[in-house]
Amino acid sequence: MKKISLVQINPEEKVSILEIVGGSNLESKLLSMGVYKGRQVTKLSHIGLKGPVVIRAGRSILALGHSVAEKIIIERE
Amino acid sequence: MIKKIYLIGNPNVGKSVVFSRLTGVQVISSNYPGTTVEIAKGYLTLADKKVEVVDLPGTYSLDPTSGAEEVAVSLLKELPKEEIAVINIIDSTNMERNLLLTLQLIEEGYPVVVCMNMCDDAGHRGVHINFTKLEELLKVPVISACALTGMGIKLLTQRIKEAVSAPKDIITHQQRWLEIGKIIEQVQHLEHRHHTFREIMEDASVRPVTGLIMAGVIIYGAFKVVRFIGEGIINHITDPLFINIYQPFLEKLSAYWQEKGFWFHLLIGDLINGKIDFRQSLGILTTAPYIELGMVLPYVVSFYFILSLLEDIGYLPRLAVLLDNLLHRLGLHGYAVIPVLLGFGCNVPGIMATRVLESKRERFIASTIISIGVPCVPLQAMIFGLLGKFGGFYVGGVYLVLFSLVIILGIILNRTLTGYSPEFILEIPPYRFPPLFMLWKKLYFRIKGFLVEAMPVVLLGVCFINILLYFKLFDLVTSVFAPIIHGLFGLPKEAAVALAIGFLRKDVAVGMLMPLGLTANQLFIGATLLAISFPCVASFVVLAKELGFKGLIKSTLVMIGISIIVGTLLHFTILR
Repeated sequence: MKKISLVQINPEEKVSILEIVGGSNLESKLLSMGVYKGRQVTKLSHIGLKGPVVIRAGRSILALGHSVAEKIIIERE
Repeated sequence: MIKKIYLIGNPNVGKSVVFSRLTGVQVISSNYPGTTVEIAKGYLTLADKKVEVVDLPGTYSLDPTSGAEEVAVSLLKELPKEEIAVINIIDSTNMERNLLLTLQLIEEGYPVVVCMNMCDDAGHRGVHINFTKLEELLKVPVISACALTGMGIKLLTQRIKEAVSAPKDIITHQQRWLEIGKIIEQVQHLEHRHHTFREIMEDASVRPVTGLIMAGVIIYGAFKVVRFIGEGIINHITDPLFINIYQPFLEKLSAYWQEKGFWFHLLIGDLINGKIDFRQSLGILTTAPYIELGMVLPYVVSFYFILSLLEDIGYLPRLAVLLDNLLHRLGLHGYAVIPVLLGFGCNVPGIMATRVLESKRERFIASTIISIGVPCVPLQAMIFGLLGKFGGFYVGGVYLVLFSLVIILGIILNRTLTGYSPEFILEIPPYRFPPLFMLWKKLYFRIKGFLVEAMPVVLLGVCFINILLYFKLFDLVTSVFAPIIHGLFGLPKEAAVALAIGFLRKDVAVGMLMPLGLTANQLFIGATLLAISFPCVASFVVLAKELGFKGLIKSTLVMIGISIIVGTLLHFTILR
């Protein structure tokens, strides 16, 4: 088991969110949009050079700024 | 008794379309989150009584995390719960995410009616919902609707009175998501299907390589189409009308005019080689209508046609994702493309749309960039009209100067201003293809807005200028500013009048440059300066409103400084 952030995984990977480390404001904002601890999300793409990460959570597609994606920690085998 | 009805829902679920259907009040709706930056109000007749309906900005929950959400939540608390009804609008294609707000509204005891919007689209996407079951589980009225076609709206108005306050225990968001999971399992059935072409395109537009290619093609295509339609209207409709019908009429009128005094000067203007010249005569009946209707309006129509199309399809948020990188360097984030693009139509809605940005710092940077480096359609139309005949090189040059300015200015502002730029989190809507009549409605609404705002200012402006010119009152202005205009910018000192008029309206100001007989290079400098110097009076007012007095002064000083630097630089690099 290895803890990494959303930035580091490959597109098309489906992962489960372990924690969000950005402070309560970011956490509650993401929570209200359906991105929370234990939620399964699929990474869709990553715009290079510290660009945003696009994920699918349920039926929503969300673009997260690079700094946001770095704060979303996931677990991988 | 219901005194007020609130429309609430997640961003981009079609609240404004439902609002228009309920009240008949036309408001702009687009396919991206945050279209509604002003609170729209209208009236609905309910049991023979007029009830106010309020269209709230989109919000994901009742715990606000942004300015717009705060506004929505605080408005909701204005009246006691017994006196209001809340219509919670849900995007049926993405019910899960929407239900969080619904549960919260019910728990807090708001009298709720749920309107499941975009039902037809859900069907197309293989999402099937059991509405009766949903109503059973939520214990509030649930109506399936499609606001675009008006389906379900009548039923919605009939069932508003069934909304009653039934508070429940308040639970956490985590618990709510668990609850929602259970509800979804019982009421939603997803048809398993292969990726459609639409979905493939949706994905491709946010991937780095395919996304950039698509963005390039779309922006280039949009630009070409705007020019094609704009020129088409000018060459085939407005110019023939003005030259073949309106001009002979005016010539006759002016021939009857015995003594060509003050009134002749005011209405017709100067005769060029004994004839009326729409571009140079500068009269209320000649140049004023020609600038607005013959040169600017065609481009307003074509620009808003394309912008509205891109908005409704839902392409703009994707562009925001691709440009996030670049805009970060300027202290903004991707979503700032929306105000900037709107600013290309008219700076006023552009600056107003900066409200979608969260921090004061971002709003200052975005508003300043828009008022300095983003030319509005009327200004662009005039630049094309004037510089076009000297070749694309000059027109392109103006854009290049403006673009470089935006980048340099953005970098400097980003490095020097204190404050923070918040994180970028944006929901990307699916592509949607709303019926054409929606597009026409929006286009009509925007063009009407343009004419109502522009025409009186232009007519009064030209009238005012003519009076000043007739009594030679501009001589003072021109001689005071001659050292700057002539010495630094290399323009004839009469150009001071045009630059001053730029404060009133940019299109008229460029029009004022027409009779001066400038060279291509001088015209290039003049047009560029008009684009970056003071915003017109309308943008000035919104700037003041959005930035406050201090922000306005700061922004204005930046503008004056930059105009002088750029004008001087251009003068000494290309005229010498």
